[in-house]
Amino acid sequence: MKNVLMTLALTALALPAGAQDFSQGSEAKTWNLYAEQPARFEAKVVDILCELTGDCPADCGGGARQMGLLRDVDNVLVYPNKNAQAAFTGAAVELLPFCGRQVEVDGLLIEDPDLKATNIYLVQKIRAVGDAEWTAANRWTAEWAKNHPEAAGKGPWFRRDPRVKAEIAADGYTGIGVEEEQQFIKELFE
Amino acid sequence: MRMRLLTAALLLPMPMAALAAEGERIQVRGEIIDTWCYYSGVMGGPDAVTGTAHHTCALWCSAGGIPVGLLGEDGQVYMVLKIKGDDGSAGGDTQLRLASHEITADGLLYHRDGLNYLVVEDVVTDHGITKLNHEDYGPVPPFAIPKPGK
Repeated sequence: MKNVLMTLALTALALPAGAQDFSQGSEAKTWNLYAEQPARFEAKVVDILCELTGDCPADCGGGARQMGLLRDVDNVLVYPNKNAQAAFTGAAVELLPFCGRQVEVDGLLIEDPDLKATNIYLVQKIRAVGDAEWTAANRWTAEWAKNHPEAAGKGPWFRRDPRVKAEIAADGYTGIGVEEEQQFIKELFE
Repeated sequence: MRMRLLTAALLLPMPMAALAAEGERIQVRGEIIDTWCYYSGVMGGPDAVTGTAHHTCALWCSAGGIPVGLLGEDGQVYMVLKIKGDDGSAGGDTQLRLASHEITADGLLYHRDGLNYLVVEDVVTDHGITKLNHEDYGPVPPFAIPKPGK
């Protein structure tokens, strides 16, 4: 009995975030970020607001809410901030199809004590536990295009997004006002 | 006794927030930032990825579903999960409109595995965009402002 309790206590002591190496078996591509670590692990896909507060819609919020990864090995809540696209795009859209399911993910973990960044994740690929095929976490821009047929055209999505364009039209690129920033922009390109 | 000890030992690894869904009521003032650029350093240090220099990118990231945070005066980042009843934390309208704004928020704070999470129940004051650093850093990233006429 004493041995069981000792083992459990030592397991608990070994759990602090960042203390474990999840790089084994990872095929994550580097983004050359200062604090990145390849990380492949199994987890349950959760709605973070639900996980923390008990406010739990059936469909994890249907894409409106941020999704988390409740890591199997240590019950740590990992926060996927980013998908695999270099296009200012998050991870919720990628994880939503796996709401409530056990998955395996591969990507980059960000651990930077100077910025108090811990358990921040860039997800590159996902698969349900037991599945052979991975799903690349790069569907965001295609989903955006499907939802914004009125914004079809050349150039990246963020130049065409109606809400972003409306904000910039109202307050400028710096947010200080269209008129107020004119001199700055003029000098920027001189 | 043995059962109680075993139960206590089994509960030990469970994060406290998982046991209690009650948040701590706080009032905090700070800037609504995009957390990926801040945490990853992908575009430079923390001063360059806030304020007017980074405003356009903050809009892109917020609309793109990257989590927003409130960078408090205390230097802490509070991951925002909800603002005044709008739970659209992945690209929602309310957080988009507040990009780069300094706000005073009243809400509930949750701690989990080294991160702070905030459910904003009220934006007590929207101070507007107060960090004017575009003259210091230029647009971050540099292509955020396209050449006029292009």
